[in-house]
Amino acid sequence: MRIVLGVLEPDAGAVRWKGRPLDAPARARFGYMPEERGLYPKMRVADQLVHFARLHGIGAADARAAAARWLERLGLGEVADRRTETLSLGNQQRAQLGAALVHDPELLVLDEPFSGLDPVGVDVLSEVLRERARAGVPVVFSSHQLELVERLCDAVAIVRAGRVVASGRVADLRARRGGRRWRIAVDGAREDWVAAVPSVLVAHVDNGAVVVELEEGADEQALLDAARRAGRVRRFAPEEPTLAQLFREVVA
Amino acid sequence: MIGTIPAIALVARREIVERIRERSLWVSTGITVAVLAGVLVLPTALGFGGATKGTVAVSGPQAASAARQAVAGQGAFDVQLTIRRVSDDAAARRLVRDGDADVAVLAGGRALFAAQGADDAVVSAVQAGSQAARGGRLPPPLPVVTEGGSSSSDRQGIAFVAVVILYGQLLGYGFWVATGVVEEKSTRVVELLLSAIRPRQLLAGKVIGIGLLGLGQLILIGLCGVIIGAASGQLDVNGDVVAAVGVVMLWFLLGFALYSCAFAVAGALVPRQEEIQAVTAPLTILILASFFLSFGALDDPSSTLARVLSLIPPSAPMVMPVRLIAGNVPAWEVVLSIALTAAAAAALIALAARVYGAAVLRTGSRVTLRAVWRAAREQEPAGRRA
Repeated sequence: MRIVLGVLEPDAGAVRWKGRPLDAPARARFGYMPEERGLYPKMRVADQLVHFARLHGIGAADARAAAARWLERLGLGEVADRRTETLSLGNQQRAQLGAALVHDPELLVLDEPFSGLDPVGVDVLSEVLRERARAGVPVVFSSHQLELVERLCDAVAIVRAGRVVASGRVADLRARRGGRRWRIAVDGAREDWVAAVPSVLVAHVDNGAVVVELEEGADEQALLDAARRAGRVRRFAPEEPTLAQLFREVVA
Repeated sequence: MIGTIPAIALVARREIVERIRERSLWVSTGITVAVLAGVLVLPTALGFGGATKGTVAVSGPQAASAARQAVAGQGAFDVQLTIRRVSDDAAARRLVRDGDADVAVLAGGRALFAAQGADDAVVSAVQAGSQAARGGRLPPPLPVVTEGGSSSSDRQGIAFVAVVILYGQLLGYGFWVATGVVEEKSTRVVELLLSAIRPRQLLAGKVIGIGLLGLGQLILIGLCGVIIGAASGQLDVNGDVVAAVGVVMLWFLLGFALYSCAFAVAGALVPRQEEIQAVTAPLTILILASFFLSFGALDDPSSTLARVLSLIPPSAPMVMPVRLIAGNVPAWEVVLSIALTAAAAAALIALAARVYGAAVLRTGSRVTLRAVWRAAREQEPAGRRA
């Protein structure tokens, strides 16, 4: 992310935007939220946003209007004239987001934007990000709150030790990893019925059902037959992994 | 994307607006004005003035004897005279014109030549000495011709106040640049800034903004000083005083241009405010040394040491103003001194512009100048490409 914003020089490779090598004027149209938060502690929140908008090339009057609009939107209207250091951490975080959004960027790059936010703040930020994405602004953000990522993101990339180990649309990733896991609830069966099915690799009991992982290429119909022999099958469904499970698997 | 000039102007404007809002600026201005008022008003108000000092230039035995008589009777006039012997009358006149002497005894003790601003008591003492030297029944007082500016002691006083203010201003505002850089670095706001503008623009805006603020404060202090001095009757507001204020402004700008970028680079090397003292120590020592060396120039503005120190950059911003105010400096020396200081400042600014960008993003621990210089060299081709 820091390389994209030109804050760090890449050791190798290049950053391209709209098919062309990224240059400073294009970069100035990006919005950035660094992982290590940074605003001038003694500056008033509104002045701060106006300053950053103007540094990105917005005129004085437009900058003031945009700052006021975003402060209102982010729930900071009442503290707009207070020094940034006097705000709660959650509100400072919102102000930081304001600094990334105030110049109406063409691309948003946010490093861990949700960390440190209270649940209301998370809702506000989620809504803002969805709204920006609907308006055609690509939003790239990093996060370890994977349920949130699952709800918000179209596509994800899982990075491990600086390398992308999995990437794609969330549904595709889940489906690709799925297909071998099944959740089965059988009434009146003996607990160890699964052990008798030869193609089962792993199984565990979860919430009154048994979750089974089959060998690669195994036929799930054989599993269903075994279940029916064991008792009355109430439920037989593919178990798609959550993003968190996927993450554990690819990073482990 | 924003242009270079608007970017610099925005950064400079923020520095000025935010710092004017801080109470510390007004406290420091108030303290300086109070000290200035104290220096101007207190000594005489409390009767601490002591004997007025004066220098008498003489050539030839008759004139010397007049001067000796003047020294013998100086107690009555509450003055303390120093005699300087020169080869001829022309040299004696020159000393007075240059401000190095207050009164010259000329033509074998038959005429006096006094500086315009020479203290009346000093002139009277010499007058009495010359009468005593001619002996007999009180011969008529000698005609006094006056010329030139303030007395040498007045000019010394103004030069002293000027160099104290210059020293405080250069050190204080240099330090402000360093703390400003560290503030941006330690709060990581620099990462956000550099995603919008280039390091050079940030550096230039910061230095220009703080420099303008320093100049503005100087103008305010100068005005207050002149007003207090004039109102209390302790300061003759003449051309010398106005020229001194001008000299201080000019040399603040030159000195600030020279030192501020060095302070910015020093600030960029450390991650926390606590480490500023240590990393700026060499600069502080340099400024402090120049300040003390300027006292030598105060005593003898034309000594070889003072002349050399007033020409070379690290000490010139404090020694040259002292020489300019307290004595007379040949034009070529002034021009050379300004040129050398400006050239050194330009070189330092260019160096700082390269090093600052490489240093300011290295957070975590203190970095060495050498490592940063290497990084800056490696970045250069990439920078051109971008």
